Amino acid sequence: MSASTRQSLHPGLNLGAEHGDDHLEAETSVFGFWVFMMSDMVTFGMFFAVFATTLPLACCPGPTELFDLGSIAWQTSFLLLSSMTSGMAVLTMKQEHGGRSACIKKLVFWLLLTVLLGCGFLYREISDFIFMATAGGPPTRSGYLSALWSLVGLHGLHVTGGILWCLVIVVGVMVRGVDLRWKLALLRWAVFWHFLDVVWIFIFSFVFLGGLL
Amino acid sequence: MEKSKELHHYLIGLALAAVLTVIPFTLVATVGGKASYVGLIFCAILQLIVHLRFFLHLSFKGQQKEDLQLVLFTGFILFLMIGGTIWVLGNLYTRM
Repeated sequence: MSASTRQSLHPGLNLGAEHGDDHLEAETSVFGFWVFMMSDMVTFGMFFAVFATTLPLACCPGPTELFDLGSIAWQTSFLLLSSMTSGMAVLTMKQEHGGRSACIKKLVFWLLLTVLLGCGFLYREISDFIFMATAGGPPTRSGYLSALWSLVGLHGLHVTGGILWCLVIVVGVMVRGVDLRWKLALLRWAVFWHFLDVVWIFIFSFVFLGGLL
Repeated sequence: MEKSKELHHYLIGLALAAVLTVIPFTLVATVGGKASYVGLIFCAILQLIVHLRFFLHLSFKGQQKEDLQLVLFTGFILFLMIGGTIWVLGNLYTRM
């Protein structure tokens, strides 16, 4: 089956038939990454399960003393917008594969904007962690706080990893151009980045907002 | 697919996700109470679907089915593991 007869091989984060053989190449590699991503979701799920079985104790500060709704709103906005800009990066790569240097400039712009928004998210998150630690809520204080720090911290580590990965892709496309290798890297990174936002939906809804109810 | 159509897809997703984010925040900031929890669950699941549909482009047709099946199966596993954990430990808690 040739590339042109098959429109869409895997979810939207694909290259499109005009990319020829690269399009076919992307199918297995991106689907494989989806499988990894799902196993990562199970890991997050178990952290959620542990968190759900703990209760804030009377001994230590609880959600009302530790969480700042405004900061959570900022983090949520940063991450949602970065998900959007990462989508714009993928669209740029898909659609402007013809004009090389113009495409690279636009692509790098969207990727760096995503990195910037990701750093904004991390900045607010780390400030919150520092506040929590100084306000009497370090992870060692109670089971609830341990579960909270590990769940939110695990997500923060993923975001840090995603930012570093994105920077590697930026350097890659600037040095080597948008060739097959970096196209595939960008597609997989985009899947990763979108899923970090998906996990964040559940963290802000159930950990932070649910805790404040 | 045409350029503008794909861009539209992302913009619709962003708008829907933004609305589904504002609702739970307003619920907690203004209404409060345990009953709002239902709203939180509802909005979170809807926003999950919006992200999968508009950002990750999962759908019920064509080759994308394989990925959807993968996601649904993982969702099922997560439901069993998280639901089971909460069930068992919640039961223990009420007996204490």
